[in-house]
Amino acid sequence: MKQYYILIVLYMHNRILEADTVNSNEAVYGNYGLLYTNEGYIYSIPKECSKLLDEFAESASNFTMCSIKHARPISFCEKCVDYYKDFSIKYKNLTTKDINGTSCKAVFISNDRLEVVLEYYNGIMSLWNKGNCNACFDWTKEPTELSNNVKHFNQMYNSTMQCIDHWKPSTNSSEVCEQCMQNYLELNNFYNNMSTDSVGLEGVCVDVVDSMNASRYIWSKTLNCCKLRQSPETVFLVCTGIIASLPLIFYLTVRFCGPIRDLPKVLKQSRFKQTILRSVNARIN
Amino acid sequence: MSNSSSSATNANISESTSDTAQLISNDDASTSNYTQLNKSNFEDSDEDELHGSHGIRRRRPKQKIEPGSMNVLSAKYESLDYDTCENHLLLDEERKRGYPYIVWKDIARWFIILLIGIVTALIAFVIDVCIEEFSKIKYSALKKSVDKYVLEDRLYIPYLLWVLSNIGIVFIGSMLVAFVEPVAAGSGIPQVKCYLNGVKVPRVVRIKTLIVKTVGVITAVVGGLAGGKEGPMIHSGSVVAAGISQGKSTTFNKDLKIFQYFREDHEKRDFVSAGAAAGVSAAFGAPIGGVLFSLEEGTSFWNQALTWRTFFGTVVSTFTLNCALSAYHGRAGELSYPGLLNLGKMEPFPFQFYELPVFMFFGAVGGLLGALWNYINYKLAVFRIRHIGAPWLRVVEACLVAAASATCGFLMMFLLNDCRPLGEDPTKVPLQLYCADGEYNALAAIWFQTPEASVRSFLHDPIGSYKPWSIFLFVVCYFLLSTWTFGLAVSSGLFIPNLLTGAAWGRLLAILIQYMLPSNTINPAKYALVGAAAQLGGVVRMTISLTVIIIETTGQISNALPIIITLVVAKWVGDFFNEGIYDIHIQLAAVPLLPWEPPPLAHNIYASEVMSHPVFTLRTVENVGHIVELLKLVSYNGFPVVDPPLADEAEVTTYKRLRGMMLRSQLIVLLQNKIYNENANTTWSNLKVDMNMFRKEYPRYPSIEELEISDWEKTCTIDLRPFMNPSPYTLPHRASLPRLFRLFRALGLRHLPIVNDVNEVVGMVTRKDIARYRVWRHRGHMGMEELILSTEV
Repeated sequence: MKQYYILIVLYMHNRILEADTVNSNEAVYGNYGLLYTNEGYIYSIPKECSKLLDEFAESASNFTMCSIKHARPISFCEKCVDYYKDFSIKYKNLTTKDINGTSCKAVFISNDRLEVVLEYYNGIMSLWNKGNCNACFDWTKEPTELSNNVKHFNQMYNSTMQCIDHWKPSTNSSEVCEQCMQNYLELNNFYNNMSTDSVGLEGVCVDVVDSMNASRYIWSKTLNCCKLRQSPETVFLVCTGIIASLPLIFYLTVRFCGPIRDLPKVLKQSRFKQTILRSVNARIN
Repeated sequence: MSNSSSSATNANISESTSDTAQLISNDDASTSNYTQLNKSNFEDSDEDELHGSHGIRRRRPKQKIEPGSMNVLSAKYESLDYDTCENHLLLDEERKRGYPYIVWKDIARWFIILLIGIVTALIAFVIDVCIEEFSKIKYSALKKSVDKYVLEDRLYIPYLLWVLSNIGIVFIGSMLVAFVEPVAAGSGIPQVKCYLNGVKVPRVVRIKTLIVKTVGVITAVVGGLAGGKEGPMIHSGSVVAAGISQGKSTTFNKDLKIFQYFREDHEKRDFVSAGAAAGVSAAFGAPIGGVLFSLEEGTSFWNQALTWRTFFGTVVSTFTLNCALSAYHGRAGELSYPGLLNLGKMEPFPFQFYELPVFMFFGAVGGLLGALWNYINYKLAVFRIRHIGAPWLRVVEACLVAAASATCGFLMMFLLNDCRPLGEDPTKVPLQLYCADGEYNALAAIWFQTPEASVRSFLHDPIGSYKPWSIFLFVVCYFLLSTWTFGLAVSSGLFIPNLLTGAAWGRLLAILIQYMLPSNTINPAKYALVGAAAQLGGVVRMTISLTVIIIETTGQISNALPIIITLVVAKWVGDFFNEGIYDIHIQLAAVPLLPWEPPPLAHNIYASEVMSHPVFTLRTVENVGHIVELLKLVSYNGFPVVDPPLADEAEVTTYKRLRGMMLRSQLIVLLQNKIYNENANTTWSNLKVDMNMFRKEYPRYPSIEELEISDWEKTCTIDLRPFMNPSPYTLPHRASLPRLFRLFRALGLRHLPIVNDVNEVVGMVTRKDIARYRVWRHRGHMGMEELILSTEV
């Protein structure tokens, strides 16, 4: 899905490029383009609305730029929150502004199939919501700042990373593990308690999820600190062996030691033919 | 012969008997009977035994039957009385009540169907919720334990915990099934099928069975066995229907005095078919599938009005279940909430023309695997019949299987380190085990949930969620576990385990196809669903109802065509090798089930060969002592009522003219109420002799041994004419087997007297006489065989 948004942005970019080429082509092909563009509709678009639209476009492009720049490692909730707020305000202005009985909303939205404004608004909103970014912030404060949980998490994350960074150069790799175990476990536990569900995604914003994933990856894959988990478990294997062989023993026991039951008898059916035959036989005898 | 002793003791009877009532007669013919008269030996009988009654030489008959043989019919099963007895009492009742009574009865019928739908759905809801909640508790506790002990290198603790919890839970259910109500074992669908076919399976629709079934299925699924809850739900629906429609419970000795007019086999069976349908609809959320299931698998006697009522019942059931479940999921009133679909909402998958052969291939694989599944299960069932008879052995076996299931699951998680990053796939209980932090063990996710949830995972997870190798091992394990589990002394069905196996191998094949065609995007959900359908179709061999059930449980009708194609091929391929699993179990139980069609090429078998010959008859006015002796001596349930003979000669076999039919149950009620001619003005002058007298005892009439008949009564007489059915269906002795069969099957008969040209009773045909001609079809060959009967199977 990440690609999808990148695609949108690329698409947007492409369109701008196209527009450029059209403009440059105008010089070559003369006035074959539409002459009545912009204010060219018979009733001109109010100046204020155009201005709002420009602002909206700028805020959207700011946010888009910011989000792409902070795509990896993901930190776009934290970094782009101001652009996001700006963007929502601009959109609100655009949709609520009323000039002499003509609302700007009516001018820009629900007029054609393409719905450029709405499309970009929805795209950005869904990107924001998909990252669960609202969960990162404490919206009651002004200016908006990171929520306490996230602040605390970042602190722990930083100290863990610092620790790893500090011990990493040491030749013995298990040294890092031992030294930073405490930090890492605290971080891990704190993270696990942040979410409401067992998987650890609900109610946690994507910045935190991504940093945690990264530190887990570094911890277990790069540093290979989870190898204490691998162990022979001989008792366990013996147990499974015993329990798995129980049914076999059971079946063999009942097969060879069970009581031999009397086989069911076949019933004689009484039929006309037999009756006749029998009585004939009886008479002959 | 064997009865000559009784003739000496009871001179009274020997006077009254004639040759057709073969109680005392010295005629050789009297030696033959299904049950009690079988004590004599037949040294001279080889000759006639060698000729099967349809002129084909049979194998040399054995005196003993190998246990586990499918070519036996048990003489213990009785039929239901589907035919209405048009005696004087019924005519009286009709005359008195008039049309308002009919209208009232119709309204009551709809009301009962409504109740059946609601109660069935509520039971299904209780089962659903209990399984869900108990599983959640169990698996969360296990997860905690694994998380804790995996670090301490003591993994055997959670393992033993799992094994013990499985055994403990299964033990409860298994004890209930083995000791309290053995008929509640298994899915219950074969039993319901037999009941709807017209065979009285003892205790199958009792409240005790319902309770054991409900508790049993919860314990089986929570206990981690490879079983499903769908079959038991269908059985529960049938019990509910049979219970509600009668307005009384014999178990609790409580008679609500309502719905008395439904206390007969005919009405009860109609309600049971509606109940089974409601059960399907509650199990799968499939109202149309339920009606079709009832039509395809069950009811032999179907009519338009019953279809419509059944449909009403299934819709009520689905509606009630969805109401209750939506409230449970916290979305009360949201009836189209996709979480209510059992197998999860399926997206419509596009398929191309060239994919149809792929679906056929899946169907063929499903048919082969299904046939193998049935074969293994059949062999196990035979082994169980032979060697595991004692209830406590069956409990031990069930517990061992529960332990083995846990072992299998834990070993797979332990040995296959199939790790997936958290959060990409929906998992409720992610277990890390040996995976890196932030990952979970994909196999643990499958094992640490109910089988139904696992089916959903296999159907809906993205293609990379499982490694092919782990799916392969899972398929092998679960295939064997599920066939091992079915037939244990626990109540669990086979729908979900087979869907799970099928979905797993369907997904495996999808991954293989993806490897072969890397450029195409393969939709694993499509092949998992088709695989699930194929596997289940290959085992149960249902077609139309299964298709509709799968469509309804996935909420997507546009996938119908691939599923239909798959199921048809699966059935064809499977039928080439053996029967459907339900039929195998019905045949092992030696139930005289009548198939849809009479045997082909059987027009040369005549009624005179099919019928049982010496008929026990009653005279229109019969002596009580004789009736009592007759009822004690034979196990028959229907007796032709005949005119008294003109001449009474023991030497010559004479037949007497048919006047009517009398049922054992009617005779018992008459004896019980002492409706004798001699005390007409004293004992029962105040007694209201009407239909309710007979309905009161239904369905459990006392046996003749339980009645106290004093000596003076034995000299009394009963006039049977007002009580007998004066116009039973009869056929001449030259009627062919297909004709007999169709009459039996279409009318749901229990007894069919065979008469000669002058309407004299020469023989009697019952269900077992017809059911013993069985057609077999295997590996491209077919033929007809004549089954043998036994009382001890």
